[in-house]
Amino acid sequence: MDSKPDPVPRRSLLTGSLTVGIVATVGAIFYPVAMFLRPRKATSTGAAEVVAPYRVNDLKPDANGRWPAPFNFNGKPCLLIRADDEVRAFNAICTHTECTVEYVPEKGVIFCACHNGVYDVEGRNVSGPPPRPLEMYKVTLRGQPGQEDIIVSRNT
Amino acid sequence: MSPATPEKLAPALPPKRGLRDFFVERLGLDGIQALMAKKRVPIHRSTPFYFLGGMALFLFGIQLVTGMLLSLYYKPSTDQAFESVQAIMTEVDFGWLVRSAHAWSANLLIGILFLHILTAYIMRAYRRPREMTWFSGMLLFFLFLAFGFSGYLLPWNQLAFFASSVGTALVGKVPFVGEQLLLWARGGENVTGETLVRFYALHVAVFPVIAFVLLGMHLYLVQKHGMSVPDAAVKKLGGKENVPSMPFVPHFLLRDMVGWYLALAILAALAALFPWELGEKADPFGSAPVGIKPEWYFLFMFQALRHLPAHIYGVEGEIAGVLFFGFCGIVAMLVPLLDRTATAGWPRRILNVLAAMAVIFFIVMTAWGLIE
Repeated sequence: MDSKPDPVPRRSLLTGSLTVGIVATVGAIFYPVAMFLRPRKATSTGAAEVVAPYRVNDLKPDANGRWPAPFNFNGKPCLLIRADDEVRAFNAICTHTECTVEYVPEKGVIFCACHNGVYDVEGRNVSGPPPRPLEMYKVTLRGQPGQEDIIVSRNT
Repeated sequence: MSPATPEKLAPALPPKRGLRDFFVERLGLDGIQALMAKKRVPIHRSTPFYFLGGMALFLFGIQLVTGMLLSLYYKPSTDQAFESVQAIMTEVDFGWLVRSAHAWSANLLIGILFLHILTAYIMRAYRRPREMTWFSGMLLFFLFLAFGFSGYLLPWNQLAFFASSVGTALVGKVPFVGEQLLLWARGGENVTGETLVRFYALHVAVFPVIAFVLLGMHLYLVQKHGMSVPDAAVKKLGGKENVPSMPFVPHFLLRDMVGWYLALAILAALAALFPWELGEKADPFGSAPVGIKPEWYFLFMFQALRHLPAHIYGVEGEIAGVLFFGFCGIVAMLVPLLDRTATAGWPRRILNVLAAMAVIFFIVMTAWGLIE
């Protein structure tokens, strides 16, 4: 009778293969679930160019004193303001906690109602909690003076 | 009368120990531990049938998980339901796998429940004091049929649309209350987007809550009364006390888990090799497609109703059929009250004949429906 000891003890072989099996099963379950949970479309990034739904002469408070609302610029709200005889476009998402800001023309500031964040008309954070200035987009005007189309674009 | 000593009012806590004791002491885990240690499973020829309930429970767990995942992408409206399921099948990573697993697992679950009920019947596990276990189990079975029926409509495809039309029309055949039931089930006179939203609400909110209540009751009763031992095993060993048993934890539980693992393997193979079809989007104003059939577990009813004459003794065929199947369901439900004798007497023999006829009817009608 051969009395050589097992090169791999039987118990450790069994527990080892059981562990491998359990780990493989857990992986085979959680990998598809993790992939399933991933959103389908990547949020749009990169360059974009959109013609605003307002012309230059629309940029004024309406009968109720409200400034034209931000519009959809490639999935993000874009705020148009008129200040210093210039049309400017900002990413209207506040840099603090991502609420959408509004323009208050009579005070000459951009205001975020969620936490009283205040930016000036160049998008610089001047008071309240916002940590950074608003992202500014490039504005191109085209058409008859006074009622030009507003083309908003971003390079990156 | 002796004054209460402080020790009696607040017994001294045992000295602090490890993390495990921290939780045992605060959550009262020792009570659960004692319960688990007490639970034993009898060993005899029919012991493997005890696995069926656990397997059904496991498949129900799979339904919960895959259902929650599907609900992240599914949209219950007539213009989005089909498209969202299509997106799950074609665009979402592993969406086809999750949906196929959900559909296959539902079918396996119904099949396991059929066997679970049949074996419980054969072993006469419904007798005193386990009548309520049987009732809660039968209600769970009907609930899972309703789960299947409501879930079938959700992809809003042709088959689903007509299956729901037919199924709810049968409900409308119930005498006196049928018309109201039909309006209630469809959310209107026809199967529309209203029906879809209703079925969705039932499928993902109402039924799961009912299932948890019934399942909690069923499992509590199984735990309370222990496993029922069939007469044959008791007789062979000359008394209940002579039947050998094994502890539930870990011996039976580990065997249970092997069964679950097997079920998971079968489910994964079915879902991967035979992904669930989506079919064509429902057209409420189109004609029913030729060769339309319900899910296999409703096929026997569908087949029987299709071949009933238009009138039976002056009663409309469909009404007679619906009443008949309703009656059969009630008889199955009331088995514990019909067979109450300790030894199998004549009520049991009559029930056996009826049960055998029901099983043969089910198999023949299902097979006929499948080949036709």
